[in-house]
Amino acid sequence: MIVFENVTKVYPGGNTALQDLSLHIHKGEFVFVLGHSGAGKSTFLKLILREEKATSGRVLVGGKDLTRLKEREVPYLRRNMGVVFQDFRLIPTMTAYENVAFAMRVTNIPEKKIRTRVPYVLKLVGLGEKMDCLPEHMSGGEQQRVALARALVHSPQLIIADEPTGNIDPELSLEMMELLSAINSVGITVVVVTHEHELARQFNKRVITIDHGHLVDDTDHGVGLHTDGDDEPVGEVRL
Amino acid sequence: MNWSSFKYLARQGLHSLRANRLMTLASIGVLTACLILTGIAGLFGANINSLVAYLGDQNETVVYLDTELTDEQLAQVDETIRSMEGLASVTYMSKDAVLETYKGYMGEYADLWDGFEGSENPFMANYRVVLEDLADLDAKVAELEAIPGVTKVNPPTELAGVFLGVQKAVNIAAWSLVGVLVVVSVVVISNTIRLTVFSRRKEINIMKYVGATNGFIRLPFFVEGMTSGFISGCIASAAVLGGYALVLYFSQRLEGLWETVIGASLLSMGQVWYFVVGGFLLFGVLIGSLGTAVSVRKHLKV
Repeated sequence: MIVFENVTKVYPGGNTALQDLSLHIHKGEFVFVLGHSGAGKSTFLKLILREEKATSGRVLVGGKDLTRLKEREVPYLRRNMGVVFQDFRLIPTMTAYENVAFAMRVTNIPEKKIRTRVPYVLKLVGLGEKMDCLPEHMSGGEQQRVALARALVHSPQLIIADEPTGNIDPELSLEMMELLSAINSVGITVVVVTHEHELARQFNKRVITIDHGHLVDDTDHGVGLHTDGDDEPVGEVRL
Repeated sequence: MNWSSFKYLARQGLHSLRANRLMTLASIGVLTACLILTGIAGLFGANINSLVAYLGDQNETVVYLDTELTDEQLAQVDETIRSMEGLASVTYMSKDAVLETYKGYMGEYADLWDGFEGSENPFMANYRVVLEDLADLDAKVAELEAIPGVTKVNPPTELAGVFLGVQKAVNIAAWSLVGVLVVVSVVVISNTIRLTVFSRRKEINIMKYVGATNGFIRLPFFVEGMTSGFISGCIASAAVLGGYALVLYFSQRLEGLWETVIGASLLSMGQVWYFVVGGFLLFGVLIGSLGTAVSVRKHLKV
């Protein structure tokens, strides 16, 4: 699903964020990417989202070489992955429903399908009653679940969560991780980028540790749902 | 992009106008102020130009005729002059008419001219010719001098030179001012729009992350900018034309020389309204939409 082959990323100022990083995240896996602030986690994420290009090496997502991907193809790559950010990144002027529907509208999905799919996904994350609320009228946990619903609405094969528990209390953090775990159980690859070692320890999953741009540890604590066909394009999984 | 997406994005653009009302008001306010200033400068320039042109039109070239002309020759000269192009008016002054004019000048001493009537009349019959464009003066004078029976042409050369110079200076000054104001407006408006877009860079960022194409992101901003520009154009048109209507109203109450000069030379509402409305709407819509679309581009690189 995600392949890093000898990836190095050096920013224009000369700061080396990742150094010769190689790893392979399989389809259906649940992976924690651990690292303290400045370790290179954000760059790792930016490379997967193709927000940045690797200085050398190759990054493959769903079999697509992102170092060769054209600018105009980037939106189509992102439509096939769901991203949950620490600061939720919801559009403040849109209701929960509109925020989730927006992710479908960008792909020109007919309104009829949006009207059935969005409420379904919002109910799935426990927000059936809050569809018409603006983000400012929702708690941090609720906003995070809207962000998760937005990530899930396309039924992607890959969910990336960047510090998903950073802005919510411990109890809700656990709830969020269980939700991600449930999502993973239907075969969706989940990558959680975090600096919270304790959180990663609570779940018996694969933990990749990055420090100063190097991969320093890669330990699989549990049995991941590895499947064949890693190079298949990122596509839809029923949820 | 399909029709339903287009409709949705256009609606989003209009919705954003209300949702971000503070920045919308700032954009519309700045654009309206710039349009009004540019409009006032434009109208001022056009009216000064019209005033100078009016004064210039008061030129009169005197074409003196040979005293020995027969009636047939006179008719020939009359036909030639009246068929000339570029003349605003042609008035024939017979010898007797000239004498009467001079008698008028003398007032109570008019009878001093009594011995100069009939064959003793020392004046030359002439034509008073007003040119449509003073710039043609030299050419027209040469054309008049070439007519058989014309002995002398007396053109207002100095006056023409002064008016042409003033008209040129006014034109350059007024349109330079309009040009400077347009440039200032573009800079101020671009900065306001940039500020508007900057305040929503997070929103653009989110759109990029969920896989929106650049065109998809730009369209609502484009519609928003276009609508702001249109509203600004309407407000500025109403303000400038309303102000101009007041100027026209008060100009009718002027007296004496001011009434003659200002009243006759001010451009009527019918001559200016379509320039003002058309110019404002076109400028407003263009700068609103393009300015926004260009400003958004900077934030699309995510």
